[in-house]
Amino acid sequence: MIMPRGQEQLLLPVSGWFLWGSLLTALVLNMLPVGPVAWLPDWVALFLAFWAMHQPQKVGLGVAMIFGLLVDVQQATLLGQHALVYCCLVLAVLLLRRRLVWYSLVSQATQLLPLFALAHVFLMLMQLLGDATFPGYTLILAPLLEAVVWPIISILLLAPQRRTPERDVTRPL
Amino acid sequence: MLSQFVFFTCLSLFLMFADTRFEIAKTLRSSIATVLAPVNRVLSMPGSFVNNAAIYFESQATLKESEQALKQKLLLQSQRASQVEVLGSENAHLRKLLKLQSNLATPSQAAQVLYAVSDPYSRKVVIDKGSNSNIALGSPVMDAEGIIGQVVRVYPLSSEVALLIDNEQATPVLNVRTGIRSVMYGRPGANTDTLELRFVSGTADVQAGDELTTSGMDGVYPAGLAVAKIDKVERRTDSAFAKITCQAKANLGNVKHVMVLQPTTSIIPNIMHDASQGADGKKGTKK
Repeated sequence: MIMPRGQEQLLLPVSGWFLWGSLLTALVLNMLPVGPVAWLPDWVALFLAFWAMHQPQKVGLGVAMIFGLLVDVQQATLLGQHALVYCCLVLAVLLLRRRLVWYSLVSQATQLLPLFALAHVFLMLMQLLGDATFPGYTLILAPLLEAVVWPIISILLLAPQRRTPERDVTRPL
Repeated sequence: MLSQFVFFTCLSLFLMFADTRFEIAKTLRSSIATVLAPVNRVLSMPGSFVNNAAIYFESQATLKESEQALKQKLLLQSQRASQVEVLGSENAHLRKLLKLQSNLATPSQAAQVLYAVSDPYSRKVVIDKGSNSNIALGSPVMDAEGIIGQVVRVYPLSSEVALLIDNEQATPVLNVRTGIRSVMYGRPGANTDTLELRFVSGTADVQAGDELTTSGMDGVYPAGLAVAKIDKVERRTDSAFAKITCQAKANLGNVKHVMVLQPTTSIIPNIMHDASQGADGKKGTKK
């Protein structure tokens, strides 16, 4: 089997609990009561993109749709607005994933940055169509932060799959 | 995958369309909101815990200071309150003489703010009471300082309140000094959110510092509640209207405890019904 260059080892199968738990954690991070802050990264979009890249059989467009609706209700936006954006983002990641997994984490982040930026622009255009006002240039920081966090998220979320298949008591990890 | 994408895109576009028009989207919305409500309740706990801890550790000096200030305020208020009683009875008497309908007392209930909506394009808060506590759509919401907004969506366990500064949120107001009525609009901005009185003539008698209260003309807000104060009046030669910006009485960036009032006349559904019927009627005549 040809291994992608960034991955030095064959990964264990993902635990369902961990996958769905991490997505729900992302949702809770989005739900934190911080008020209208434009520069905060969209954790749900980030985690959906991550799992769509690594577990496309489990996390696809349907999951993106459901989480989008949850975010829509939480943020009191038009129902389906975030759902549409997440679907587009996940579709882009699904189309690009075979190529993306061969790159290092930092180059993955730079290639995902335009996608994250487009997601925010798409949301903004929909809001502006609904006669909203521009929330300020700090909005640019949101996709940048998402791209910066990508390598960290990737290491953390893949860590459980990098454990040894058999537990060895003499090994520290 | 592409067919799936087309399906989900169409579904979300349909939902966006349905959200403002059909009952099914409302049902979907309120069921999702009910699922999310307990999570929001848990998430709002650390905030209130931190607040309580901050109060606990506040120094005695600041507490004494604030107590002094509050006592002074109470003194002033009690003076006014005694006047209000006299004035109230006098007013009732005069109204009886004039055979005017007496002012109705508005039933109200206290609620707590769960969170401020994090969508940067709107200014809304979600409170912890919903249709289970008989919160009505359109209810005015106020805090200790004055009106903060209006209930725009009601879920079983929570409701959404659009703040005065939410996009195009309109509040009918009355200038206390001159008695001129106008409508105040909110507009969220990048750095500062604005409240402005639109379509007030450039020659109208409006001054910075004028107090604005609710006018009670809309059948929603009870009359005479403090709303805002006029901040700046710019009279421009290139426009027939003055640009008037206001400052809300309540601190809209940090609302915690609110009062939800019943709409003065619970006729909002009827108005909406009539309006939609009227629109249908127009369409009918066009055909």
